[in-house]
Amino acid sequence: MTITLKVNDLAVSAEVAPRTHLADFLREDLLLTGTHIGCEHGVCGACTVLLDGEPVRSCITLAATCAGRDVKSIEGLERDPVMAALREAFSAEHALQCGYCTPGMLVTARDIVLRLPDADEDRIRLELAGNLCRCTGYNGIVRAIRRVLSHRPEVTAPSLPPVTRGTFRQFSLDDAAAPPAAQISAKFTGDGLHETLSIALPPEQVWVALRDPALIASCLPGATITSRDGDRIRGEMLTSLGPIQARFKGDATLTYDDMARTGRIAGSGRDTASGTRMQAEATFRLVGNGPAASTVEIDLTYALKGPLAQLGRGPIVRVFAAELAAMVARNLEARLRGEETPGAGAALHAGGLISHVAWRWLRDLLSRFHVR
Amino acid sequence: MKPAVFSLEQPVSVAQLMQSGEGRIVAGGQSLGPMLNFRVAQPSHVISIAQIREFSLVEETEDAVIIGACVTHAAIADGRVPDIGKGILPAIAQGIAYRAVRNRGTIGGSLCHADPAADWLCTMTALGAAVLTLRPDGGRTIPLTTFVLGPFRNALQPGEIVQAVRVPKASPEARWGYYKACRKPGEFAHAMAAVFLDPARDIHRAVIGAVGGAPIVLEGSDVRIESAERALLQSGLDEIGRIMQLAALRRAMEQAA
Ligand SMILES: Cc1cc2nc3c(=O)[nH]c(=O)nc-3n(C[C@H](O)[C@H](O)[C@H](O)COP(=O)(O)OP(=O)(O)OC[C@H]3O[C@@H](n4cnc5c(N)ncnc54)[C@H](O)[C@@H]3O)c2cc1C
Ligand code: FES
Ligand code: FES
Repeated sequence: MTITLKVNDLAVSAEVAPRTHLADFLREDLLLTGTHIGCEHGVCGACTVLLDGEPVRSCITLAATCAGRDVKSIEGLERDPVMAALREAFSAEHALQCGYCTPGMLVTARDIVLRLPDADEDRIRLELAGNLCRCTGYNGIVRAIRRVLSHRPEVTAPSLPPVTRGTFRQFSLDDAAAPPAAQISAKFTGDGLHETLSIALPPEQVWVALRDPALIASCLPGATITSRDGDRIRGEMLTSLGPIQARFKGDATLTYDDMARTGRIAGSGRDTASGTRMQAEATFRLVGNGPAASTVEIDLTYALKGPLAQLGRGPIVRVFAAELAAMVARNLEARLRGEETPGAGAALHAGGLISHVAWRWLRDLLSRFHVR
Repeated sequence: MKPAVFSLEQPVSVAQLMQSGEGRIVAGGQSLGPMLNFRVAQPSHVISIAQIREFSLVEETEDAVIIGACVTHAAIADGRVPDIGKGILPAIAQGIAYRAVRNRGTIGGSLCHADPAADWLCTMTALGAAVLTLRPDGGRTIPLTTFVLGPFRNALQPGEIVQAVRVPKASPEARWGYYKACRKPGEFAHAMAAVFLDPARDIHRAVIGAVGGAPIVLEGSDVRIESAERALLQSGLDEIGRIMQLAALRRAMEQAA
């Protein structure tokens, strides 16, 4: 798409792909390489530029959404009086070494000087929390900003208007919007979880079923077995959580001890789109409770490495794993009783855990991998 | 890092939005942006709503402030939006992320994203806020307690969008406390708790955020440490995490005492 905007006081008209973020647009298309890219997820502040006069992260701002707006990168602030004072102060106070953080640091520093003329050292440090510098230890940067604040050039801070008043259309209350939360039955252990399943069937029958990898896979939402060679299984697992989607491909090894009625599945997989790696191991133990009842004890441990682990913090992943475990448990129980597993499907759909499409896809799969 | 290819639509009015196709909404892009860059989200179509005028308004009624979904954290922090009393809203907004993120990030985006450690999610739940939605055939008012299903999951249906957040005003004698534990200011909290006591409106509520699922809500006589301890067992937190949460709750309760 073509966009027209102002960059460093010049009108620019350019062709951009919707996915191009503002930092790449400035650097790659306009060759304004003063804007640096560090983390590309909003954390480090190296890419901070001005959009309509306000500092923003250019790495998480789509260039296409800046059409008609006014962008200023470090190059466009050469003649800005506050920036001139900051440049001098940064140099005098040794506020930079390698210079990687400096363009973003200067844009933030300028914002502090203009917006918070009375900032003391604590406030300056607080405001700088979003700009990482791995060289200077910040002391020089804080001193430089204090220096400029104490001899502030004659400039008026931009004043932002109050938010415009209006009225909203209001509709009736729906306080039953959420389906009941997925019941987590697992207990959290140090690095995983423990799930107990009670099944009203004789242990012999349950063991035969547990020895069937296709059956187990069919109980794991989004999972499919793509090939099988003895105890080695190749497969895929599609998961989605809100906007997040991942398709893990990998393999697993199954081992059984028929005497002890225990087993172990260990595998690892990778989501190629994000490069996230997952490792998981489940051990299970079947115990008979009289002739017509069994208990399956499952211990699951897993490790997630890469972008998904970074965005989905530990507790989120744990609850997600526990919800999956609860579904597997429910599905397994239903399948062992010879029932189809529509209940699980409904829960998946209602909870939005796995998209409807994925569920349909899973059902297609189920029909292919029949339980013997 | 590059997001996967997607097409983009930028409606400028609700009328235009209602005509647009199905796609992933982006408001400030401060949560979706990182997910796109990391390719953990790969929508094929994206609809930017940041420039829809109707979503950037604010309305003050006798008993509530209604904040448009696309009003930014910075606008609230600066007091450019009417307060609900006690300076509560600016104080919360000021503690979210960093100025450059607050300049883009929106209150509606934050609630829809439903990150368990999000400041608005925890505090708006404590304040008894509700989202006003919009869909082609009307809309709904959904209290936050039922709006959030879990991490990154909300009760919106396809084609439904949040247009605003309705926050009830606090009585003059209301008491309020909010504490979050971060290693560094502006990062997502490791533990957070909000306490809101408004006896005149019969509200005694504590909310614990930064858990593995939807925020934990404690009401009435359950606003105490023992109830929190029990509720935290299913939160996906390890023991240290739970101890931190209890400390955050104690401090929020002290502030509100
Ligand atoms: C470095 C960094 C630190 C941060 N620290 C914190 C913090 O300490 N505390 C905190 O609370 N937040 C923090 N955030 C998140 C920030 O507050 C985001 O702005 C906010 O969570 C999402 O708002 P957004 O407008 O950017 O949403 P977007 O990223 O645009 O959207 C987020 C999600 O919500 C959906 N969505 C958005 N608006 C609507 C709507 N109106 N209707 C329906 N769906 C919608 C989108 O489809 C998307 O899935 C941080 C972000 C960054 C980058
Ligand atoms: S590169 Fe944009 S914040 Fe790090
Ligand atoms: S000067 Fe090297 S990162 Fe700041």
